[in-house]
Amino acid sequence: MNRNCNLLFGVLFLGLASPLQADAPKAVTVPFELLKTKHMTVMIKVNGKGPYRVIFDTGAPVTVLNNKVAKESGLLKDIQKPLFSLFGAVGQVNAETLEIGDLKADDVPVMIMDHPTVEAISMALGPIEGIVGFPFFARYRMTLDYQARTMTFVPNGYNPPDAIQALMTMLLAGGRDKPAKQVIAPAAQWGMVVDKAPGEEEAGVTIKEVFPGSAADAAGLRAGDRLLTLDGRWTDSINECYSAAAHVKPGAAVKVTVQRGGAAMELTVKPASGL
Amino acid sequence: MEGPRAPGCGAAIGKSFPLESVLLGVHGMRIFWLGMALVILGLTAPANADEARKDDRACHVPYRMTGAQHIMVRAKINGKGPYNFIIDTGAPTLFVATALCQKLGIEPDKKGWGIFDRFEIEGGVVLTKLAGRIETPFQLEGMNNMGLAGVELHGVIGYTVLARYRITFDFTRDKMTWEPLDYNPPPPEGLFGKGGPPELNAMAGIMRLLTGLLGKRPQPEVAPRGFLGLGLADATDGVMVKSVIGPAAAAGIQPGDRLTEFDGEPVKSSADVHRLAARLTAGISVKLTITRGGSRQQFTIKAGEGL
Repeated sequence: MNRNCNLLFGVLFLGLASPLQADAPKAVTVPFELLKTKHMTVMIKVNGKGPYRVIFDTGAPVTVLNNKVAKESGLLKDIQKPLFSLFGAVGQVNAETLEIGDLKADDVPVMIMDHPTVEAISMALGPIEGIVGFPFFARYRMTLDYQARTMTFVPNGYNPPDAIQALMTMLLAGGRDKPAKQVIAPAAQWGMVVDKAPGEEEAGVTIKEVFPGSAADAAGLRAGDRLLTLDGRWTDSINECYSAAAHVKPGAAVKVTVQRGGAAMELTVKPASGL
Repeated sequence: MEGPRAPGCGAAIGKSFPLESVLLGVHGMRIFWLGMALVILGLTAPANADEARKDDRACHVPYRMTGAQHIMVRAKINGKGPYNFIIDTGAPTLFVATALCQKLGIEPDKKGWGIFDRFEIEGGVVLTKLAGRIETPFQLEGMNNMGLAGVELHGVIGYTVLARYRITFDFTRDKMTWEPLDYNPPPPEGLFGKGGPPELNAMAGIMRLLTGLLGKRPQPEVAPRGFLGLGLADATDGVMVKSVIGPAAAAGIQPGDRLTEFDGEPVKSSADVHRLAARLTAGISVKLTITRGGSRQQFTIKAGEGL
């Protein structure tokens, strides 16, 4: 019953969304099940085989399927299985297709292994065959709604980096040498100097100087203001202030919050092109 | 998946075969196991009642991806922080590292739960009287010991927080959207008694072995970029100086000058200037070549502090 309601909700959502965005990619809404452990599960098909019940996990940098699914869906075709491996671990392969509801993703990297935590949940709550993680969901703008028990996906053109490749590069490149200094570059010119004494724990940084004629000046920022947020990001250290400014492009009007004389106030700054 | 393997590895070299190699294989396979160990999927004991409340408007929550491809946000606890948390639908509740709770003076009850009076996620998500586990998940400990995230991780935000919001993730944007729902999520139920079956500890063991094998990655030193005070505009014939403040004004650069070279490198757009100045820090001098009224001139500007 609940499931039917969720499906209905999904259809309604689609019905509303499509006339408004004629050219936008189609949104696909799929229901999920919430286990009593509060893990979300969805039904997937792998290379057209299935459906299989898997856990949907935003904390998983990889997608994992067990050996049973791998065998049935032909993922082990070109793989030489090791003679012995812990939890049946085989390695990484590419699934030609991975489907959730009407959503079909091509060429999804999958790790094959009988994950012990999944097996444990599976024993208590019925069959669960793996975990869907970042390599799949990062390809979509994804909305999770626990109340409606639905997830909605719209392709966003993002091509997620391969987690294993990224780890490999990170761990192998450069070895254990001290990495080069990182410089945090603001993307636009604000025209102010911020300061904070080492060890000072109060929120924010102090604006030490505002250059006359600059974007900060035009917005009404003043020396002595305590800058608390910049475009919705906390600025509790000089580096954090620069990191926040690294996200703001020239000409974008963004909100900053400052504390001045005991009162918090919000100002809008439009930083200029420059450095 | 197999990494480079010396011919006749093991016996031929006359060394005893270490247990870790049997379990976790050579380097390539170790990365596989690291990938697996980084899957944050947890089980928990039943939750205590929690009376968390939320605010009423959609929030835009900044996030970044860690080196291990986890979604990380920042949060302040009782006004202290910010601390770094992973967004994880595979976690049944909020987990806050034991060491941090000790520092903040938040005591666990007999079952390991603590109450966080004010838990604020960057971007304006505020929860009050929020219950969470005072516990350091092994994935977090492993990532911190290996320096994988690039920053210290302090916890995991799971179901009991996430379920209160309709959350939109889009990795082509730098903020998530969190819309409060009129929904009080029922607490998670534990599957097993304390500790759970031994298989659950297996990934923790693998993580510990990997930490020993792979070691800790040194963290880079971070510095803010230096300030030149150059306002720039892209024109058809190159980069124009639009305004000068601070160091650029002091050096004698004038609005209307055309910037042609930055430290000897030709520049055609303001993007070129940003690229060439990407590693510039305060106190370092750069040579700028400009044309003014048809003549070519060179200036040296010492970068100051500012943005």
